[in-house]
Amino acid sequence: MTRAITRLPAVRLRLKEIDLCGWIGQAMPGDMLEYHRGFLALDVTEHGTRLAERDRTELARVARRAWWAAELGLVHLVQRRHGPDDYGYLAIARPKPRRASASLGSFLLEEVA
Amino acid sequence: MPHTVSASDLQLLLLEADTQARRLIRRLRLPRAELDDIRQDLLVDLIARLPAFDPQRGSLGAFAGVVLRNHATRIAAKIRREREMVGPTPVSLDEGLPERDGVARGELIAEADGLSAWLGQPVDGFAAIEQRLAVERGLGTLDPRDGALCAALAHTTIERLAAQGRGSRSTLYRRLEDIRLALMAHGLKPA
Repeated sequence: MTRAITRLPAVRLRLKEIDLCGWIGQAMPGDMLEYHRGFLALDVTEHGTRLAERDRTELARVARRAWWAAELGLVHLVQRRHGPDDYGYLAIARPKPRRASASLGSFLLEEVA
Repeated sequence: MPHTVSASDLQLLLLEADTQARRLIRRLRLPRAELDDIRQDLLVDLIARLPAFDPQRGSLGAFAGVVLRNHATRIAAKIRREREMVGPTPVSLDEGLPERDGVARGELIAEADGLSAWLGQPVDGFAAIEQRLAVERGLGTLDPRDGALCAALAHTTIERLAAQGRGSRSTLYRRLEDIRLALMAHGLKPA
């Protein structure tokens, strides 16, 4: 007896790294963005065949940038399951920290010194 | 015998006056709203001097050019004298703004917008503070080496840095791209 194999849903690159950065920069706390829909771990792997190589590279950048933003406290990263191997990867904007931690002046002084 | 001005002559005079007025506006960085007044001043002076035009000595265009240039120089000198007396950009809050139905400048400027708004710059005080915070937040998260690159780029170019041995051009451009994205994620908009 054979079992039907579930076909992986089609995947496409939704946005580029620069789009994600622009959104993070302008988003209000609580705003939500689905930066990928699919199975991220699979879609960024070199052996995956669901995306063209160029899109796969860009998706890896998008995913890295989302993780970077989460580590800096700019967004929360969550995922929503839609079905087998089909997830929505969501970034939820957090309030931006009010404190300023460096100034260009300090860098310029270091450069002169 | 005075020269009679035909329709095509008049067209030429209007065109010359317009060109000279635009040149003056550009050179003195005057508001566009001044264009009509200056063009009219130039034309009135030109028409007043028209009886002195002698077709034997040159074309009407050349005559108009000389007269307009001379008067433009006088207008420019007058404006410069006024600026020297009262500062480079005299601004009155009671001055009516063009295309605002006679509303005065002072009525349209919120106190929070600051002095820059009085001088006609589109500045939102809150947006400026947001922008400064975005820059400083972004710079604070940069790797110190990237911060040094930003500081160096304030007064030199990627090509020169590469020539000084601070990395290959492609590496420096890649780092710059990364810095740009990081700053953008912190809310910094492109200039």
